[in-house]
Amino acid sequence: MRGLRVAVPKGAIFDDALAALEAAGMPVGVLREDGRRLLYRAEGAEFIVSRPSDVPVFVEHGAADVGIVGKDVLDEQRPNVMELGDLGTGACEMVLAAPREEVENVRRAISHAEVVRVGTKFPNVARRYFEGMGRQVEVIELHGSVELAPLVGLAECIVDLTATGTTLRENDLVVLDEISSSTARLIANRGAYRLRHREVSALMEAVHRNGERVG
Amino acid sequence: MREKTPRKFSTTPGTRDVLPPESTRLLDAQAKVLDRFRLHGFREVVTPALEYSEVIEEPKLRDSAFKLFDPDNQMLLLRPEVTTPVARLVAQRLRNTPPPYKLSYSLPVYRRAGVGRGQSAEFRQAGVEAVGSGSPGEDAGAIALLVDVLRALGLRPGTDFALVLGQAAFYRGYLKSATPGVAAGVLAALANKDLVRVDEISRALRPEVAASVREIPRLVGPAAEGSVLERAARYAGESGEAAAALENLRLILGHLRAVGCLDGVMLDFGLIGRHDYYTGAVYEVYASGLGFTVANGGRYDNLLRRFGEPLPATGFAISLERLVSVLPEQDPAPLVVLVGASVEATRAAAELRGSGVPVLHLAEDLPPAEAADYARSVEAGWVCYPALGGVKVAPAQGGEPEIVPVDAVAGRVLS
Repeated sequence: MRGLRVAVPKGAIFDDALAALEAAGMPVGVLREDGRRLLYRAEGAEFIVSRPSDVPVFVEHGAADVGIVGKDVLDEQRPNVMELGDLGTGACEMVLAAPREEVENVRRAISHAEVVRVGTKFPNVARRYFEGMGRQVEVIELHGSVELAPLVGLAECIVDLTATGTTLRENDLVVLDEISSSTARLIANRGAYRLRHREVSALMEAVHRNGERVG
Repeated sequence: MREKTPRKFSTTPGTRDVLPPESTRLLDAQAKVLDRFRLHGFREVVTPALEYSEVIEEPKLRDSAFKLFDPDNQMLLLRPEVTTPVARLVAQRLRNTPPPYKLSYSLPVYRRAGVGRGQSAEFRQAGVEAVGSGSPGEDAGAIALLVDVLRALGLRPGTDFALVLGQAAFYRGYLKSATPGVAAGVLAALANKDLVRVDEISRALRPEVAASVREIPRLVGPAAEGSVLERAARYAGESGEAAAALENLRLILGHLRAVGCLDGVMLDFGLIGRHDYYTGAVYEVYASGLGFTVANGGRYDNLLRRFGEPLPATGFAISLERLVSVLPEQDPAPLVVLVGASVEATRAAAELRGSGVPVLHLAEDLPPAEAADYARSVEAGWVCYPALGGVKVAPAQGGEPEIVPVDAVAGRVLS
């Protein structure tokens, strides 16, 4: 029987994910050596490196047994997977933000239940947020540089992820509300969690210990 | 050159045509499943594909259902599952006969959800419902039947599949007695399979309660070793409901042990199934190499109340397409292609069928090479021509033809 197959996200939480897996005793050294490959094998374990938003897809379908992914992605996709542990790293906030000079207009529009145009990479999160407040929204789904949308009049405000707030500041965007906060999570396929419970729970325990230490 | 087919002639998203040999495998598996259901005394019912939308109550199922309106402007649903229609059927049609009602079905269901996520909008569910008995023996009976079905189809418990068994009332009972204020929130988080949220909620609780709230849903292990049950027993604490749930689970396991169905059963106290649906035993079947459940079921004592008959009930549904995808490869069923436009050919075909040989009669005079091509395209192992003293038989894969008496063909091709 092969070892666990782990889906690791490229980008912001890649290093945190490797650190957590390493602390759990997984042979992640190979992933640091060569950044171009998509599939790595080491000591029986396998690692898939994919876009963060694809990690839950691999795991839900069982193409990966476990994966590491931000809570923001899980909130958006709501995949049918087991959410087993909080790595305590990769902290960021999902915020509603608008250009400084538009802040009051947007605030007023929201409080009057006018339809607000929102640019975002997280259409489901944005829709749920506005529906939860009983407010109306027109969501414009984008795939990159969401900050651009309000600067050129595509949207009045944005729902986006921010870790340090630097990008928001650079584009003179102001946070109107914090929607949710996110950290990196360990997820598992429902079948793998049971059929390979020993390995998955060992990983879960290690991530938990490491998370307590980091967080 | 053929004209490009217009888009509207393709099948709608999430649906597909099923062709041989896949369709044969699917229907063969269905026949075997129904055969086992009958062996256990479950009798088949057929419910309409259309139901009034009020019949289905669960919001998620209603959202995922295809909807349409009848001439009176009533909203109808294409059934997104079969348990609720069977519950309706029992409450409406069977109230004058004595319970329990042991019914089975194998029907297609329709769901919008998951289209584009690689899941189908139409798939077949084969299942049983035992309505009108709260006995743990009924739960065990359903589980044993499910294991029997999987074994009969060539899957080995523990190696090819695992049945994960939980008891929804255990954790609920514990929460209600130890920390009623957060019970609803914790159960909702667990139904979403979000153990991180369960941990977050537990942090506000007294340390010893917090530890139990965190640990109970993480109790997982083989049913054959008693250690998971022992650990669970320590958490039952003051709660009579949790203790009763645990006793119920012990009884179920006792029945399963008696019929040799404990191999491949895994206990999981974190398995509670859909939010607020299952009231007792709950289970899912996972097969190695498949990320989704092959079957799931459990006790749902609250469903029938909606239809005016508060009856306890338990049952399961197998997803037939998923089941077929994990079955071991099988050789195609024997088939002979008999070639010839003459009356002799028709007679030979009938005689062969009379001796039990499945025959596809191709009423054309095809040369042997083309006939063999055709035979391979329909997965037939043999090509025959009518001949003096019997039929001329050749393997479709190539080889010398031989003249064989009609009554000897069965012995040749059915082995």
